[in-house]
Amino acid sequence: MSLKPTNILLRGMEKESSATIENYISEDGYKALEKALKEMKPEEIVAEVAKARIRGRGGAGFEAGRKWGFLPKGVDKPVYLACNADESEPGTFKDRHIMEHCPHRLLEGCLLACYAIGSKTGYIYVRGEFPGAQQSLWRAIDEAHEKGYMGEKILGTDFSCEIYVHTGAGAYVCGEETGMLSSIEGGRGHPRLKPPFPAVEGLFRCPTIVNNVETLSNVPFVIHEGADAFLALGTDDTPGPKLFCVSGHVEKPGCYEFEAGANLKELLEHCGGVWKGRKLKGIIPGGASAHILKPDEIDVSMDFGSMARAGSILGSAGMIVLDETTCIVELLRNALEFFAHESCGQCTPCREGTGWAKKIVTRIEAGEGTMEDIDKLWEVADNFEGMGGKTICALADAAAWPTKSYVEKFRDEFEEHVRLGRCPMKG
Amino acid sequence: MPTLTIDGREITVDPGTTVIQAAEELGIYIPRYCWHPGLKIAGNCRICQVEVVNPKLKFPCTIACNLMCGDGMVIETDSDEAKKARADVMEFLLINHPLDCPICDQAGECTLQEFSYEYGHDKSRFTEEKVHKSKRVQFSDQVSFDGERCILCTRCVRFCRDVVGNEELCLVERGDHEEIAVANGGGLTNPYSMNVIDLCPVGALTSSDFRFKSRVWFLEETPSACTSCARNCAVDIGTRWDKVMRLKPRENEHVNKWWMCDEGRLNYHYVNAADRLGYAYVQQGGKLVRTSVDDAVAMAHELIGKLPAEKLYGLISARLTNEEIFLAKRYLDQVAGAAGVGFLPRIGEGDDFLISADRNPNARGAGLIGVSAAKGLAADIKAGKVKGLVIFGDSFDHDEELMGALADLDFLVVMDYRLSETAKQADVILPGVTFAEKEGSITNIDGWVSKLNPALPPPAEARRNLDLLAGLLGRAGQDVPDTAEGVFRLLAETVSAFTDISYGEIFAASRQVATDAVVKAD
Repeated sequence: MSLKPTNILLRGMEKESSATIENYISEDGYKALEKALKEMKPEEIVAEVAKARIRGRGGAGFEAGRKWGFLPKGVDKPVYLACNADESEPGTFKDRHIMEHCPHRLLEGCLLACYAIGSKTGYIYVRGEFPGAQQSLWRAIDEAHEKGYMGEKILGTDFSCEIYVHTGAGAYVCGEETGMLSSIEGGRGHPRLKPPFPAVEGLFRCPTIVNNVETLSNVPFVIHEGADAFLALGTDDTPGPKLFCVSGHVEKPGCYEFEAGANLKELLEHCGGVWKGRKLKGIIPGGASAHILKPDEIDVSMDFGSMARAGSILGSAGMIVLDETTCIVELLRNALEFFAHESCGQCTPCREGTGWAKKIVTRIEAGEGTMEDIDKLWEVADNFEGMGGKTICALADAAAWPTKSYVEKFRDEFEEHVRLGRCPMKG
Repeated sequence: MPTLTIDGREITVDPGTTVIQAAEELGIYIPRYCWHPGLKIAGNCRICQVEVVNPKLKFPCTIACNLMCGDGMVIETDSDEAKKARADVMEFLLINHPLDCPICDQAGECTLQEFSYEYGHDKSRFTEEKVHKSKRVQFSDQVSFDGERCILCTRCVRFCRDVVGNEELCLVERGDHEEIAVANGGGLTNPYSMNVIDLCPVGALTSSDFRFKSRVWFLEETPSACTSCARNCAVDIGTRWDKVMRLKPRENEHVNKWWMCDEGRLNYHYVNAADRLGYAYVQQGGKLVRTSVDDAVAMAHELIGKLPAEKLYGLISARLTNEEIFLAKRYLDQVAGAAGVGFLPRIGEGDDFLISADRNPNARGAGLIGVSAAKGLAADIKAGKVKGLVIFGDSFDHDEELMGALADLDFLVVMDYRLSETAKQADVILPGVTFAEKEGSITNIDGWVSKLNPALPPPAEARRNLDLLAGLLGRAGQDVPDTAEGVFRLLAETVSAFTDISYGEIFAASRQVATDAVVKAD
């Protein structure tokens, strides 16, 4: 699918005043909330969101409406909304844009979600390194209170709801939904065993819906314009608008909004192509944990299904462009330093394996590796990859995917480091 | 009730049963480090990998400890996939481990060693510098920590948090630098802290009391019960060189689950102490003179017989077994016709977990047999109402009132395991034994009857208490059994509370040694 710009998630962002409630209201802001509270029942909201098939924009791609439907019925416990704004996948900065420039769209999405799932309390867990986003949300929450969109008896209805900003302290693993819940509760950011899933037993052991910032920011559009309008955008696999974070060796890096399913190759061209007139070496399409795509693999539609078929992931749509001068071994060492450092330490394979892989690749980069080390590196990663079977959360997979794909697709470069006893890219 | 197949065998289990538990019911042991039946599921060590047979799964292995049994589930615990997954975890566990088994106290009872033997590689592929962590940290006077041996299973953290109810231990740092630590610079001070040593599957937490004293494979382990309070926690007595080397809790679902308190665990040193009585003594010219045990028994019986029965009192310790109390009472009642019998009460601080405020291990049994707490004994001696005192298995060295009253007695006979200050005042001292040297039953505060087993022979010429008591009864022509089994039968015939308990129930079972018959009898 070619590039089709949309102006939904970042609408109004070009204005200085985009973050103000006045500007948001002037662009149909909070109309969805008013419509929902005055004309719709909570289950109608759930049905509309389910119909729109908003796939989770945090990276997992699970449909938000289906997730909301997992809430147990008739449980005598409070229900919570926890918005995941920990956006810590390297190469990803779309949620930050929403929070800094269009915070009210997120707040309206949170309020609609709370109304739909019967929650009176929502938390937005904002990454510790995002002070701008935190300030922006706090201001927006105050404004929403003043205008009666938040707090007691919203817009004169029986619906009361508070949204709180919970600031993180800088841990990647707190972006894992249950690690985030542990952190909100004041504990170590340790992901939890599943089952039970958060919808059944989440925050403070109560039913909890966890959604990403971008996911929730789609909800006002779905309610205001209807699910059909949403379904008319994007692909059948991934309907709706999508934010793409373009970074790395590219002429015009930034956060772009297109219909989901945008062609990766065209997107690179739209961003001015590889910088300095250099050739493309590869693209990491979905944040640092994604499998790398070589230049001949990037003619692909950026939706969840197409990316999986291409052997990678849409993930957080954090596209990192790499030019021909990039040392793949150095890139992997950098990534593994990150994942080994961010491993929470609970599960044996991730705790020990990420550190081991980091040490092997560090030696190879320094020219001290052997040919056997290259196989060992791949095998170690293969041994800690396991989609939930080998570890509690997906952090080990996030470290395994780049490791395996870099070794598989750029093996010659690893071998060159061994043969030369130094990095061939650095002379 | 889901029915599933594990290693080709069908089993139907209660809903909520996990695969590791269902396998255990079938007698299939799945390796585990973090999982423990007495702790909440953590699922972090990942060694309990099993294969879920389902062609749709790209990664068929998962952990058995958090896998709920489902109807129609097919599990292989020993397939190539499962074994490889375990071997991978094993390799990861060992890369940063110091592999210092030759000097590690856990060697011989270390599951890291055991599963490594089953799933480990013969060579290490790890050629990097190992991660270095804290070593030789004293978490408390009794618990030492080695961070490099630790596999972060968090059993110790969860024990403190979920069983004891405090957060004394915690995790610090992340990734392969993660470590266990005492929280907020505090200490590991809870009265059950040493259970973390048993829980630790590796040599990370070791006992300061036991470490470096003996390789565990030289220990002989004897199942028995703790006699430090009225809970009677099931224990294993570890012995070597005719000494008790350690006590460890043994699982007993009715009495103590898997745990015991530190006080009870450490309360064995008196068994090995220098003041143990190895010989019988009689008082001659103000001095204790060694004599043969048979002569001492004869002299004791003779002394007791000379005194008018109404002036005789018998103290029967509630630290003795049901059988010993039964024979002692029979001797005092039927032979000596003592005016009264009773036990010395011992009250300390109890809690709502295991520690009973009643520090006599068998006060309940004594009560059922008809021996209650002694009252006003010192005053009765002072008033001349009691002129002869027989003490079976007790002393009151720190009770100034009773010690002061001893001078007013015509005679004192003491049977005990040590030469106490009380015993030193005796006319005749009969050398008995401790809990570690005898067989018998004790009745805990809730009525559960547990069995003591002899882990050591009596020292020197000392005799089992039952031999001494049967000897006294024999002097009076009463032929009673001198085995615990024989006396228990006699007891069960006589005391109704014990009637429904079969000897085999308490005495044959190696793990489950309790029966609720006494509870029912109430």
